[in-house]
Amino acid sequence: MITGLGAVSSIGASVTEFLAGLRAGRSEVRPISAFDTTGFEHAGGCEITGFEPERWIERLDPAELGRAARFAVAAARMAAGHAGLTPGVLATSRVLVAVGTTDGETRDLDRLVAQDVAEPGAMDPRIARRASASRLSTSVAREFALADAEAVTIPTACAAGNYAIGHGLDAIRAGDADLAFCGGADAVCLKTFAGFYRLGTIAPDRCRPFDLDRKGILVGEGSGMLVLESLESALARGARIHAEVLGYGLNCDAFHQVAPLEQGVADCMRLAVADAGVTPDEVDLISAHGTGTKANDSTEARAIHAVFGDRPPRTVSMKSMLGHTMGAASALAAVGCTLALEHGFIPPTVNHTTTDPECGLDCVPNESVTADLRIVQNNGLAFGGNNAVVIFGRYDEGAA
Amino acid sequence: MTDMGPVITAWSAISPFGLGADAFRAGLRGGVPAPVSSAGHAPYAPGRLVPDFDARTVLGKKGTRSMDRVTALSVAAVGELAGGPEASGTPAEGPGPGLVLGTTGSVQSTMDFTRSSLEGERPFYVDPARFPNTVMNCAAGQCAIRHGLKGPNATIAGGRAAGLLALNYARRLQAGGRAGTLFCGGAEEYSEARARLHHHGRGGPDGTVLGEGAAVLRLEPAGSAAAERDGLAEVVALEFGVSEDAGEIPAALLRCLRRALERAGARPADIALVAPGAADGPEQAALRDLFGHRPPAQADCTGLIGDAAAAAASFQVLAVLVRAEEDPAAAGRLALVTAVDHDGTLGCALLRPYPAR
Repeated sequence: MITGLGAVSSIGASVTEFLAGLRAGRSEVRPISAFDTTGFEHAGGCEITGFEPERWIERLDPAELGRAARFAVAAARMAAGHAGLTPGVLATSRVLVAVGTTDGETRDLDRLVAQDVAEPGAMDPRIARRASASRLSTSVAREFALADAEAVTIPTACAAGNYAIGHGLDAIRAGDADLAFCGGADAVCLKTFAGFYRLGTIAPDRCRPFDLDRKGILVGEGSGMLVLESLESALARGARIHAEVLGYGLNCDAFHQVAPLEQGVADCMRLAVADAGVTPDEVDLISAHGTGTKANDSTEARAIHAVFGDRPPRTVSMKSMLGHTMGAASALAAVGCTLALEHGFIPPTVNHTTTDPECGLDCVPNESVTADLRIVQNNGLAFGGNNAVVIFGRYDEGAA
Repeated sequence: MTDMGPVITAWSAISPFGLGADAFRAGLRGGVPAPVSSAGHAPYAPGRLVPDFDARTVLGKKGTRSMDRVTALSVAAVGELAGGPEASGTPAEGPGPGLVLGTTGSVQSTMDFTRSSLEGERPFYVDPARFPNTVMNCAAGQCAIRHGLKGPNATIAGGRAAGLLALNYARRLQAGGRAGTLFCGGAEEYSEARARLHHHGRGGPDGTVLGEGAAVLRLEPAGSAAAERDGLAEVVALEFGVSEDAGEIPAALLRCLRRALERAGARPADIALVAPGAADGPEQAALRDLFGHRPPAQADCTGLIGDAAAAAASFQVLAVLVRAEEDPAAAGRLALVTAVDHDGTLGCALLRPYPAR
């Protein structure tokens, strides 16, 4: 059961703002400030501006955390508050912390390289100390003083948030953990921007998933975090249940480092749907990986048609609003799926003009719609052919 | 917990002792540390390197031109168990073989890529073929591509405890019916970037000798035919904790050890062998507290191959298996692996080596 949500994003740094942003179809594209963009012909992105980590982080010194860890810890604090987790409950629970990421603290590694370029041999010890990816999860555990927690960072690139949620589901189901903080975090960095730019996959202005005129991704950042616990645990402490994780699927294309494979993606969706104990026709909404690149969107759309037939469920891309938040992407989308189920609406695919007939999907263009949703699917596809798909279900009190 | 853990049925190693399980076994039995490479970046942190390891020599020219060292080490080590590209294809029923790899990839690849952007004539004059190397799941993805592993494919970060976190991830995949055969281990490369980060992160030289390599287990689900037929050891229990500073490590690790024993329904006296992450320091303080005056034998690994970071705990598991091969007294009893990472993760595993057959 999902009993808590946390979201740090470019369209809102709280669950309330995030929900309002998804409903309104907000998108905040600005010139990137993370690094010097001189020499790039276009460099817009979905950065988080005005983020105040000390608003959320209580125990740790934000200066000892990289930017991605600050996002993760802040989102975890929000999720704990949203779930009504008291220090007493946290202290007496067995806790799993699972945080997915693409780049870890590469933002810091970029800075260390820049220092070395400016002054060969120089390296700021504080930045060197905090640059490890494993700190994303240990920092969350430390923030809550969880000395007996299992803290694992899952760097399976852009599907990592879904991996973390799946791992949390398994730990709760197996009785290994009472509570799981699961999600993902990433910060905009030069390394990844330059790589995607070189591949020709950075959009010049807006991100337009499934549009005939789509030109690529916009880099984004943030963190999404979920609190998972068993039904018994949630009921025992009187927690509000926002939605349920019904199941998930994991597989690997074993085909190409960068390009997704239709067959692998379709197989992963089938695995997830079967694991959730539902059939494809019961899925009411797909939150697509939907990066906005030519290749991803058409491959993903073909895979959706292969699994769901001629009339697939409505399929949206929250990346049209959030940009591609990398390891946070499927986690933020999972927060969006949960809110959609709980509040009965579908977040739109914004910046949309003409649907690409090759995609052939109803992507709920530009404006959110109200909808009676029961089952929602969240796709995450990553470099390395790492696919992870999670299925969420609405929780109806008394129906269980 | 009475349900059985996964069963280790085979292993491979590419270590500072050389290529393959036999070289690792001989190195451990010899008890002489692998040499410190003169090619190491000594001003920062010296390293025990895998000797004469070159991706093109070991894996061939095809597809290795842009492959980084940690990826090549992983592909080679998994290849020794997965049996090369001809093993590709998904079985008719059930998930195909998968991989859970403890690694954070190559900081050298990542930092070189950034450097090429900063120093190039234009900031996007970077080598697209090397972009995938800058993402931490590159090694696991390449292993899947080259060995046809279409099952779950996960990358796990946790510093020196990554190999144990990976084992727990794999255990849950198998227990949940999500995976059949899994390859599970850790991989780390020695590089200038890693040595410099280590050096500056500690505020100067701390006497650490770094290590590298890849250590991989084949895991079969409990009760499967392969587990019954080829079992070398059962993974009995895994437990973890998080420390805020070095002073907390002994107490946090001791609680972790006690939880693992409770899970296994065992007492400290049931443990016949310990493969610790370090021969001194806070780990040993916790072990002294647990065992008192009757400590079990210890199998050293870190002292012989160096601090192999993301591969460290996986190599320690191999050290248990090697010792069990030659010590009938270890078979059937429990062996303990402990891991403490400077970024806060700590953990332990209880294994039960099977009698030799």
